Amino acid sequence: MFYREAGQFKTTYQADQSIFPILQDRVGLGAILLIAFVGVPLVANEFWMNSIMIPFLIWSLAAIGLNILMGYAGQLSLGTGAFMGVGAYACYKLMTIFPEVNIIIHIFISGFFAAGVGILFGLPSLRIKGLYLAITTLAAQFFLEWSFIRIPWLYNYNDSGAIDSTSPTLFGHAIDPASGDSSLRYLIILSIVVVMTWVASNVIRGRIGRSWMMIRDMDIAAELMGIKPLTAKLSAFAMSSYYCGVAGALMVFLWLGSAEVESFDINKSFQVLFMVIIGGMGSLIGCFMGAFLIFVLPIMMRALPSFLGLGINAATMEHVTSVLIGVLIIFFLIVEPHGLARLWQIAKEKLRTWPFPYGS
Amino acid sequence: MNQHVTHVELHAPDDGIAPGAELLRVDDVSLSFGGVKAISDVSFNINKGEIRAIIGPNGAGKTSMLNVINGFYHPQIGTITFRGEVRRRMRPHVAASSGISRTFQNVALFKGMSTLDNIMSGRSLKMNKNFFWQMLYFGPAREEEIEHRHKVEEIIDFLEIAHIRRTPVGKLPYGLQKRVELGRALALEPDLLLLDEPMAGMNLEEKEDMSRFIIEVNQQFGTTIALIEHDMGVVMDLADRVVVLDYGKKIADGSPQEVQANQNVIDAYLGVPH
Amino acid sequence: MQELLHQIFVAPFTLIYELPDLFIQTIWEGFVAGVLYSLIALGFVLIFKASGVFNFAQGIMVVFAALAMVGLHEMGVPAWLSLILAIAIMWALAWGIERVVLRKLVNQPDAILLMATIGLTLLLKGVGETVFGGEPKSMIHTELGLPTGVTDWNAFGGLVSFQHIDVAAVVIAVLMVIGLGIFFSKTRIGRALRAVADDHQAALSVGISLNQIWVIVWFAAGVVALVTGIMWGARSEVSFALEIIALKALAVLILGGFTSIPGAIVGGLIIGIGEKVFEVYWGSIFGGGVEAWFAYVLALIFLLFRPQGLFGEKIIERV
Repeated sequence: MFYREAGQFKTTYQADQSIFPILQDRVGLGAILLIAFVGVPLVANEFWMNSIMIPFLIWSLAAIGLNILMGYAGQLSLGTGAFMGVGAYACYKLMTIFPEVNIIIHIFISGFFAAGVGILFGLPSLRIKGLYLAITTLAAQFFLEWSFIRIPWLYNYNDSGAIDSTSPTLFGHAIDPASGDSSLRYLIILSIVVVMTWVASNVIRGRIGRSWMMIRDMDIAAELMGIKPLTAKLSAFAMSSYYCGVAGALMVFLWLGSAEVESFDINKSFQVLFMVIIGGMGSLIGCFMGAFLIFVLPIMMRALPSFLGLGINAATMEHVTSVLIGVLIIFFLIVEPHGLARLWQIAKEKLRTWPFPYGS
Repeated sequence: MNQHVTHVELHAPDDGIAPGAELLRVDDVSLSFGGVKAISDVSFNINKGEIRAIIGPNGAGKTSMLNVINGFYHPQIGTITFRGEVRRRMRPHVAASSGISRTFQNVALFKGMSTLDNIMSGRSLKMNKNFFWQMLYFGPAREEEIEHRHKVEEIIDFLEIAHIRRTPVGKLPYGLQKRVELGRALALEPDLLLLDEPMAGMNLEEKEDMSRFIIEVNQQFGTTIALIEHDMGVVMDLADRVVVLDYGKKIADGSPQEVQANQNVIDAYLGVPH
Repeated sequence: MQELLHQIFVAPFTLIYELPDLFIQTIWEGFVAGVLYSLIALGFVLIFKASGVFNFAQGIMVVFAALAMVGLHEMGVPAWLSLILAIAIMWALAWGIERVVLRKLVNQPDAILLMATIGLTLLLKGVGETVFGGEPKSMIHTELGLPTGVTDWNAFGGLVSFQHIDVAAVVIAVLMVIGLGIFFSKTRIGRALRAVADDHQAALSVGISLNQIWVIVWFAAGVVALVTGIMWGARSEVSFALEIIALKALAVLILGGFTSIPGAIVGGLIIGIGEKVFEVYWGSIFGGGVEAWFAYVLALIFLLFRPQGLFGEKIIERV
């Protein structure tokens, strides 16, 4: 009833191919962006910024990275955590070598290092597929994790083995996670995530995105249609790892402030994987939904006992949360393999035709 | 889409080969998997502008022959000459870019994509705007996208599938999937179109539609067609020339009438002991 | 450069020559670890053959089974009874997985099934931690009557020591593999299982119940997991850290092929021995700790040359 496109005629292919062809969607997106850019900074306190909004955005970005590879190009990866780590360590090295350069530039450049490593470990995908490839991405995960410990140059020969932020500033404002203004950091991250999401959606709906989906759906036919598997697969690995790398760099330098190798272990890879599965493979909006659910659910579960006045300890709640997420994953795979994004789409369909059961 | 579209005819690229002249030649091709011989010592040619049928009993090596022609299999012996260029080994995407497109025996559409996107995927080779423009989308990438959308819409009109433009192909009935697959192959604007059992599993009406499309593609666009088909009625009506394979060997080659009268062919189909 | 070449090609072999006892000890340690990798891989192979599911949860099943047994004992159940109860729990688990997960996901793409087992991993981990607690526990192998102690072997002017529990682990593993082999080759259920592994639909059409076979196979994998868990727990302790080590069994599968039981065993031994020897003799070149990735990198290199595994057949792609 409220969500109906009656009267909105598209008279050009250009209008037909825009991301949000329906007016209500455009209005909705505008409203969300307005709330995100203006509303949230006005309302949210430090806790909300640091513990929910900022990590949510960073995880969403990582989920987009994995979704490009897995949801669109169909290449299963269990190495997301390590690719995030490459971005973070690269950014750390760049900051120590060129301390005078703006950190935002470093963050964007560090993504290229992750992309390079991604291409390297994506090379086997030319010969092997599916489950086998998943195992080679495990090789990437463990080899890179090992490198982050055993190559002291990467963390400047610190005794702690950790990488930490060296009090970056932006336009004279401190954006150090320890002392800086969280709203400013939030706005920087939000802008980066919005721009990168927009870029991802452009690539996906164009020629390159289509070549990924062709490889995903039927690689042999794709090749017979003139797609070079080399270019298609490696470009997906590169772009995916770039996004993960930027997410990793953001995580360390605009959120946590410091990180060790444990920040990029295989559990992180799984966490991002769960976000993509639950959010919806092959959907950008799903990345945000999945990141929100997987990241925020444990926080809510931790707060639940004290909210209800129950004396359950935090560790138990954590275990219960892991049961819950496991159940959710299996549930979604059985009931709706396209995740929350698909549920959202179904809800929109229903709204379109409401109050009638069927629509055109 | 009530925008005025300047009508651009789809047609096979002008490659300087006169109609009736040789477009593709298969010379002494042999192919085996391990110890199993799929094709042994087969030679035939396909002329520009004709409909060439490849027939034979099950397991005769017909599909393997198509796979050899478009580079998916590499024959151990023999050569393929396409437009006067001899080749032995080539990657399938090279075959596609030199003007050979095909459909598959078991529909090989991109199941997760809509009809429109599937046919757009056939335009991939003709799109070349680089990654930078793809990222921005506005500007050259969008212009390119829209330019090709026009072509694709023509194919959609031609094949009468406008009503399923947005439907994910996985949800379409078999007959329509076959039609979408033809559309995708046409989107490459091929010089040579390989059709692997385009009418398998169709009812009479669907077969008639498909036959009409094949004839129109051949006559209006001037596309050369190589066709594998089991329905002899269809083959005899459509084909200009027929090559017959049995146990990987060529047993007859000629006009439908000649082939029909050939004793070897009758034996092969009726199963006379060798 | 010359230094490096010396480190790679000369020094390790000199060391082997000078201290043969160290070399034998290394091989033995690697062999025992390899047997355990083989057992985990064996669980994978059983399930993959029969149901086409790449069971990522096999590693966590090892932990879960051992944890259930030790946890029950801690609650006051006698050791032998907790062993039996643990077996019963693995049966219930197999039955539950078949009912709730497999049956609903028949004919889904491999990747979906794989991800479902990753979900299962999380679920089992959560349940295990909630019920039995998340902190590491020590194995109750002495209570179960498994031997402890060390035998030292004076050889080559040195000392090679064999932990009795390791010897027992190897013996039990061998007996179990033989038992499984007899079960699958001689019994009716075994024949049905091989039929299912060959072709699901054909097996269905001759009256074999897929669901029943799946329960049996997952149960067999569960028992293998329990045995593995006991062995592994006896060598170190029962903890979820084992889950990460168990992932190495995936690399074993690459070497051995997804459907070959001999492959799983040989692959496990290659990786177990290979990583120990590499760590001891070549690890210093990389600064140590190479055990963490050796298995995967070996698998990766292997994949590039022989994607079908040691005993697999070459795959011909068809259109």
